[in-house]
Amino acid sequence: MSNLNTKATANNTYDAIVVGSGISGGWAAKELTEKGLKVLLLERGRNIEHIKDYTTATKKPWEFEHRGRITEAQKETHPVQKRDYPYSEFNESYWVNDHDCPYTEIKRFDWYRGFHVGGKSLMWGRQSYRFSDLNFEDNLKDGHGVDWPIRYKDLAPWYDYVEKFAGISGQVEGWPALPDGHFLPPMEMNCVEKDVKKRIEDKWKKSRIMTIGRTANLTVPHGGRGSCQYRDLCSRGCPFGAYFSTQSSTLPAAVATGNLTLRPFSLVNTIIYDKETQKAKGVVVIDSETKETIEYFAKIVFVNGSTLGSTFLLLNSTSAEFPNGLGNGSGQLGHNLMDHHFRCGASGRAEGFDDKYTYGRRANGIYIPRYRNMGNDKRDYVRGFGYQGGASRGNWHADVAEMAFGAEFKDQMTTPGAWSMGLGGFGESLPYFENRVYIDKSKQDKWGQPVLAIDCEFKDNEQKMRVDMMNDAAEMLEASGIKDVKTYDNGSAPGMAIHEMGTARMGHDPKTSVLNKWNQMHEVKNVFVTDGSCMTSAACQNPSLTYMALTARACDFAVSELKKGNI
Amino acid sequence: MGGALSATTIGVFLDSCNSPSTKTKGNLFADDQLKLITEVADIIIPTTSSPGAKAAGVGPFIALMVKDCYPEDAQNAFVKGLEDLEKQSKDQFQKSFLEISPEQRTQLISKLREETIAATKAEQETIDKQKEADAAKVTGFASILPKDKPKTEPRFFSIIRDLTLLGYFTSEIGATKAKAFVEIPGRYDGCVDLKPGQKVWA
Repeated sequence: MSNLNTKATANNTYDAIVVGSGISGGWAAKELTEKGLKVLLLERGRNIEHIKDYTTATKKPWEFEHRGRITEAQKETHPVQKRDYPYSEFNESYWVNDHDCPYTEIKRFDWYRGFHVGGKSLMWGRQSYRFSDLNFEDNLKDGHGVDWPIRYKDLAPWYDYVEKFAGISGQVEGWPALPDGHFLPPMEMNCVEKDVKKRIEDKWKKSRIMTIGRTANLTVPHGGRGSCQYRDLCSRGCPFGAYFSTQSSTLPAAVATGNLTLRPFSLVNTIIYDKETQKAKGVVVIDSETKETIEYFAKIVFVNGSTLGSTFLLLNSTSAEFPNGLGNGSGQLGHNLMDHHFRCGASGRAEGFDDKYTYGRRANGIYIPRYRNMGNDKRDYVRGFGYQGGASRGNWHADVAEMAFGAEFKDQMTTPGAWSMGLGGFGESLPYFENRVYIDKSKQDKWGQPVLAIDCEFKDNEQKMRVDMMNDAAEMLEASGIKDVKTYDNGSAPGMAIHEMGTARMGHDPKTSVLNKWNQMHEVKNVFVTDGSCMTSAACQNPSLTYMALTARACDFAVSELKKGNI
Repeated sequence: MGGALSATTIGVFLDSCNSPSTKTKGNLFADDQLKLITEVADIIIPTTSSPGAKAAGVGPFIALMVKDCYPEDAQNAFVKGLEDLEKQSKDQFQKSFLEISPEQRTQLISKLREETIAATKAEQETIDKQKEADAAKVTGFASILPKDKPKTEPRFFSIIRDLTLLGYFTSEIGATKAKAFVEIPGRYDGCVDLKPGQKVWA
């Protein structure tokens, strides 16, 4: 694959290479270019230009041929993506064709992927919560996984920094386990949610709280971007730039420096290790359109190809010094895979608000942060869960008969129905060493690369937690006067929450972790990994805001080290 | 494609739905079936104070959806359902469904609805029993993976009713005239007074 010639080398040399243009890669590109580095941002998929290429963003419901449904032909080419609701006609082109990029499921793992500039920052759920010391200390306290090499005080200023730029709306609560951030005005709760909040917080004397979702949607114009128009069509791309994405936020900032080169269709196949300097000297790229191989060189490499994408790249980057993957002397690379488990909770009917309705489509719900296994609370499992949920007024009258039809039925279908309120748990999973990925050479992807095998399952601790996730939801709803409360557990497969993380974890000790406290590889000092693969534990909060903060912090460190001549 | 169709009646019928105005030899029957779909949809969602399913173009939408978005067994059940309905009309009223009165159509659809409810209920009872039996077998750690949905029989009335509702309420007429459609709300108010006659937001 090496086909060096010196002229090409000079042309293909940058200060820094960033692999991947999603949430964390976009941040790395912004930070490094703003600090004056010439940066090559490599993206394996096509370009999607902000606004111009959001081809479905302003389509009306009747302008979709299948009204959002996917066809049998699409189910055939997207056997994994079709497993859950995010893959639909509304943003069909944002999801991978599974036949192009197969993987081996030793056990069921739903791997949702989008290969394009912006990555999953275009389709993400936007919920943005800080981790607290409760989360950073859990591994040390209960002995699962290794200790996080950082604490909240290390990350707090970087949370401030990224929140100020990204624009996170939310309510200050003064709740230590879910630290407040630098918020734009919160979205409003509806009348049922306000009532439920009051009743829960009264009954549990604020040892449980309910807050409006903290979301990367702008409630006021911010940083040259427009505010949310309450269309609830975020995942198609926002023509107002009203939610954080690479396109709306970090990419324009990086481009404005004049220091960025963005190269789409650039699948990074390996990172090149130089045994003389004991550093990475560049990357091998497969042009994903032409399949041509090209090498690029840089002083530092940021790996932001998504948790499993980055892990594949590192595992695939073998050399005499690192036969099991770049910087994998610990043997931990690919292990400790985590995701949140969810799809479990309760819902019921709210009475007394039949004279009230809502206006606008709020792409946000409520949040109840973790309260289990805190203070004196001890359960038969470790860690905990938070709830996302919300109330809404039914889209049809409550007493529609089964399979009804006709004029009266039509009237019922257009009359606002009963209010309902639901709570769905998001639970932490533990970093089990045996939950792992590794390279499977028995298959090849469209570009001739071997594939990942994924061997991951939820275990006893998660199963026990789900009992509380259901029953606590029902208890809180009943305590709030909600009627006909029903619990549900629809089951959860690893990958479904699209919060996969942990396969190149941070830690104090090079023998038991891949990255140090600066997201720097213990063994290859000019390589930084700041996407979800760096996570030492999963907590139960949505993780993307933490990836942003870790990325900005790592960039600051990397450039300072570069200037000092340490890397 | 998984739901590819062989060159049978259904093929002719479905092809014709892509271009319902094509009047080439041999697809008159197909045109009749498209008309039949349209009329059934219009019984499910008739014209009231707002136009009904027929005016909203739901017939061709249903034909397209059955062709593109349903597996072969559901397509076959759908075509058989259409044929059965037509046969019932001829048996009972000695006329095509297209020629009978709205009251007679409603009568046939009501019967179809009752049969579908009964069959679905019986099927659900079997599934529930199986679930109980499976649950009793599990001891110790139970996987928290989502369970595969139990295989259910595709039924003509369920499919045509589902597609009528989807097609109608997402059509321009359904969304803007039967429901209330605001393309760009611009703000969120979490607690407003429900006004008399307020329609559901589309």
